[in-house]
Amino acid sequence: MSLLSRLRRVPFWSAVWFILGALYFILPLLATFEFSLSMERDVVGFKAYEVAFADKEFLQTFGYSIFLASMTIIMSIILIVPTAYWIRLRLPEARRLVEFITLLPFVIPAIILVFGLIRVYSAPLNVPFTDLTIIQPLTNYKFGTNILIIGGYMVLGLPYMYRSVDTGMRTVDVRTLTEAAQSLGASWYTIVVRVILPNVRTALLSGALLTFAIVVGEVVLASFLGVKAFGPYLFLLGQHRAYEPAALSFTSFLLTWAAMGIIQLVTGGQGQVAGGH
Amino acid sequence: MTHLTLKNISKQFGDFAAVKDFDLDVKKGEFVSFLGPSGCGKTTTLRMIAGFEIPSHGKITINGNDITEKAPSQRNVGMVFQSYALFPNMTVAQNIGFGLRIRKEPEEKVQKRVSEMLEIIHLQEKGNSYPYQLSGGQQQRVALARALAIRPEVLLLDEPLSALDAKIRISLRAEIRAIQRELGITAIYVTHDQEEALSISDRIVVMNMGKMEQVGTPFEIYNFPTTRFVANFVGSLNTTDVEVSDVGQGLLNMNGILLRTAEGTMNKKKGDKVKIAIRPERFNFASEQKKDNVLDCTVENITFLGAVVRIQVKIGDTKFNMDTFNNPFLELPKIGDKDQVTCSKEAVLVLSD
Ligand SMILES: Nc1ncnc2c1ncn2[C@@H]1O[C@H](COP(=O)(O)OP(=O)(O)OP(=O)(O)O)[C@@H](O)[C@H]1O
Ligand SMILES: [Mg+2]
Repeated sequence: MSLLSRLRRVPFWSAVWFILGALYFILPLLATFEFSLSMERDVVGFKAYEVAFADKEFLQTFGYSIFLASMTIIMSIILIVPTAYWIRLRLPEARRLVEFITLLPFVIPAIILVFGLIRVYSAPLNVPFTDLTIIQPLTNYKFGTNILIIGGYMVLGLPYMYRSVDTGMRTVDVRTLTEAAQSLGASWYTIVVRVILPNVRTALLSGALLTFAIVVGEVVLASFLGVKAFGPYLFLLGQHRAYEPAALSFTSFLLTWAAMGIIQLVTGGQGQVAGGH
Repeated sequence: MTHLTLKNISKQFGDFAAVKDFDLDVKKGEFVSFLGPSGCGKTTTLRMIAGFEIPSHGKITINGNDITEKAPSQRNVGMVFQSYALFPNMTVAQNIGFGLRIRKEPEEKVQKRVSEMLEIIHLQEKGNSYPYQLSGGQQQRVALARALAIRPEVLLLDEPLSALDAKIRISLRAEIRAIQRELGITAIYVTHDQEEALSISDRIVVMNMGKMEQVGTPFEIYNFPTTRFVANFVGSLNTTDVEVSDVGQGLLNMNGILLRTAEGTMNKKKGDKVKIAIRPERFNFASEQKKDNVLDCTVENITFLGAVVRIQVKIGDTKFNMDTFNNPFLELPKIGDKDQVTCSKEAVLVLSD
């Protein structure tokens, strides 16, 4: 079937809505791109990109944000995969509660989250009723702040990560797959590594991608915890400059799209859904 | 030589008793079906054998070894699921070899066993396909091969055919039975389809509300149901209430019409109310040879069921179904006709409850 005849089968109104939706997303992006090319008067060029990339602070903050994003993703996977798996397997009645918890970041603004974090962790943790300090205030040193901010980012990413993992587990019916593997003699380790993880890989990747996008662009937590991350940098830059922020925004879009393309490439070749339902 | 025994098994979920006092000895190489309506505890019983549920009471042994609380992975029991449950990330060959690789068998042995199994299920050319590239019937055959590859002590199948369409269901059940016979493996087969159970099993356990109603060969279950539930669930039996009227002669009174039974009145007294069952195919229209029971009737309805024609007749004020084989020369009565039907006294079964 040729592409044209395939297109002809698309109902008219579906096409209209699709095009409208696409314009809604693409036009601002194009405008940003166009704007970013016009730093020099009367010349269309990549000057804004040159200037932006040359800034030492850009590299530092961007690198730091990538580090934060990677740590957040790793910690989220370690926390969420076993949790979602166990709930599917043994605690289906807990699913509603956990889903509710994962939605909280949508309800509670990040500003409240960050003040909560600061309030709790800027005091030393003592043994109850004594002056013996177990943990120094986390906000007082770099490592502690990293822990705090990664924890905060895990919370922000929770809805995306948990939901995509949980959906992935539902589509492959991890419960029955687990039982099949058990009856074949597999240990828990084998089941998780050879059966569960490979089959939720796509879900993990998309959850990870969303988390990455959130963390790299995040401003509120990073500014209030006083870390030099990409979000606040871009924000500050936007207040003094015009063209460079546009260039950087467009670049981060491209990065995101590239990541999506990679996910498609890595996972596209394989069917993901077990048949017969 | 009993191979698998379930001794007084019961299973509670909170206050709810899903399985009660289940007692069964299965011989080596025997094919036993659990048959019963939805929710009667078939799957729960099977899952206790597999180790996915632990019985609240009772004991399960294989070859005399108590496995009641052993982990599923330590039981060497093969399981086939309704949803196939093939590993989507592995090829057919990798699926079949999974259990053997876990047992750390040498690679060449694994390969050999895998191709052996592929041959048994007639999918030699599909070894490198992924599950999603196969039809449902093919996927279920792979699942069967995967369960059998590890040479399990017992093969458990939980409604393996119910996701497939009618034609494949019939051919695949014959295939499952043939493979089971050839390998001489002990098998437990769960189904709610009575025809499937009757056609495939050495023995059938009919279950109802967590209890065993009757255990017997398909012949026994079909021809001599002992309870009303079995009579109704297996085949489409006619059942009705009668009163014992003469114990010695085996006479039963059905609202003024006398019926003769073979042995059903043995433990009864005159005046006892009992339930009887008569299979539709045991009725005939009256012909020259006189049977034990000759009954006046009115034809109420006629239904074609393919090979069989089902005629509903009214005897006295009770309705009965009777089945006759269809053939082009059959002379059918018309609705409203008055006629006579006959049945032998052996056909009148007195039920125990
Ligand atoms: N984990 C569980 N917790 C609570 N109740 C359960 C559980 N598993 C099964 N039951 C209940 O036990 C009863 C028997 O269930 P089971 O799955 O054994 O039925 P079944 O005979 O296999 O039915 P079907 O033909 O529908 O598969 C049902 O009423 C079911 O609701
Ligand atoms: Mg069931």
